[in-house]
Amino acid sequence: MMKKLIAITLSFLLVMPVMAEEVDETLDAAPDGQVDISNIAGSITVTGWSRDAVEVTGTLGRNVEELIFERKKDKVTVKVKVPRHGGRGIDSDLHINVPQNSSIDVSAVSADIDVTDVLGEQRLHTVSGDVSSESAGNDVEAESVSGDVEVDGDKSDTETIASTVSGDVTLFRVSGTVSAESVTGRVIVDEGSFSRVDLNVVNGELLFQAGLRKGGKLSAETVNGAVDVELVGDVSAKIDVSTVNGRIRNCFGPEPERTSKYAPGWSLRFTEGDGDGRVDISTVNGGVKLCRK
Amino acid sequence: MTELNDDKLAAAARRLPTEISPERDLWPGIAEAVRAPRRARWTPMFAQAAAIVLLIGASSAVTYVAVSGQQGPVTQVAPNLIFEQTSFGSRYNVGPGFQDARDELVAQLDVELARLSPQTRAEVATNLEVLHEAIFAINEALERDPDNLMLQAKLVNAYREELSVLRRVGGLTRNVMMRNDI
Repeated sequence: MMKKLIAITLSFLLVMPVMAEEVDETLDAAPDGQVDISNIAGSITVTGWSRDAVEVTGTLGRNVEELIFERKKDKVTVKVKVPRHGGRGIDSDLHINVPQNSSIDVSAVSADIDVTDVLGEQRLHTVSGDVSSESAGNDVEAESVSGDVEVDGDKSDTETIASTVSGDVTLFRVSGTVSAESVTGRVIVDEGSFSRVDLNVVNGELLFQAGLRKGGKLSAETVNGAVDVELVGDVSAKIDVSTVNGRIRNCFGPEPERTSKYAPGWSLRFTEGDGDGRVDISTVNGGVKLCRK
Repeated sequence: MTELNDDKLAAAARRLPTEISPERDLWPGIAEAVRAPRRARWTPMFAQAAAIVLLIGASSAVTYVAVSGQQGPVTQVAPNLIFEQTSFGSRYNVGPGFQDARDELVAQLDVELARLSPQTRAEVATNLEVLHEAIFAINEALERDPDNLMLQAKLVNAYREELSVLRRVGGLTRNVMMRNDI
């Protein structure tokens, strides 16, 4: 009987540290304040809601030292504190509700970041993981090293900066100015209208299907990969397209010309409309398609 | 005998074509070069190169200040992260200062990489290799067409992107680990 009791007690003690700790805490917050969130590993989900409060639910890894959750004036902090050397058992999954007009700054190392319905500015950074923001209504800076980045806007004028090293960058319904880049992966911009667009890929495709405003500037560059640009609406720009190894197919403007009788490159330069904007497209190894609708 | 040879020589000379065309039509290139405004072709490029060197210098200084207080083992840079010689086509070099500054960033990156998962480390290494291959491809194209401004700009962009990756990987990891504002 005694042996049985000791065995049960030991089992309980062994199992106990493995169990993740549940968290469910709420703090009052400013309706349009700042919320800073940091979680080294696991996942972070942030949702904008109508209450003037920040709510944190989820689980903390067994080796997490503590969850720092505090408010100083208009700034709320949510931080998963882990041992300095990191290690196992620090994965924490957090779901955080914030006032819809909050600005957020989210940092992670090995965690996905998902944001929905937050209308303030967003700064989202992870090293290894995907970053996604839906219904973003303000400036967004989204960055990953190894993972996809996706921003879904509401077509309001904002500044969107999205980058990854290894992964795709997809931007839906954002407008205003955009800068997107990937080393290995695709960059896609779909819908919206822009005054400034900078797209850069080293190995991968560039797809742009959106409007360029009067006086707007679009730059799309790859080293190895195709570029497909479809300008929606009126086009008024000086257009300069060039390749080193690759054909150019255009649905408007003059025929492309060979850059040289002895090299496989092509170029296309012309002015469309009043020519008050600029479209610069270039690739080293890959074709370019330029159309409008 | 001499007179006979002279006659043969004169006859052979008469048979020669009166004009010889070059193997390929060089005039369009010459005309374009004459028409084009003369400009110091290396000037914008070196200005950009100088900007990059300054950028790296400033970045290195900031990074050095940021990491100098840290304790931790500094591991050797993996061989596949050693960069090739920086060059602008066959004619231009940005000099040892650029390479030294970049080597410093690579060494710091190695410290940061040690904190990441093996998978992430592998992805970073793979993408740096992609960048090196891109730089190699651009350099190859520049060998064939050294005055191509688009290629020169792409090369500068590729170097900039490489530095950006180095800084982002190191910066992101360090910033999250050591955030004092939170």
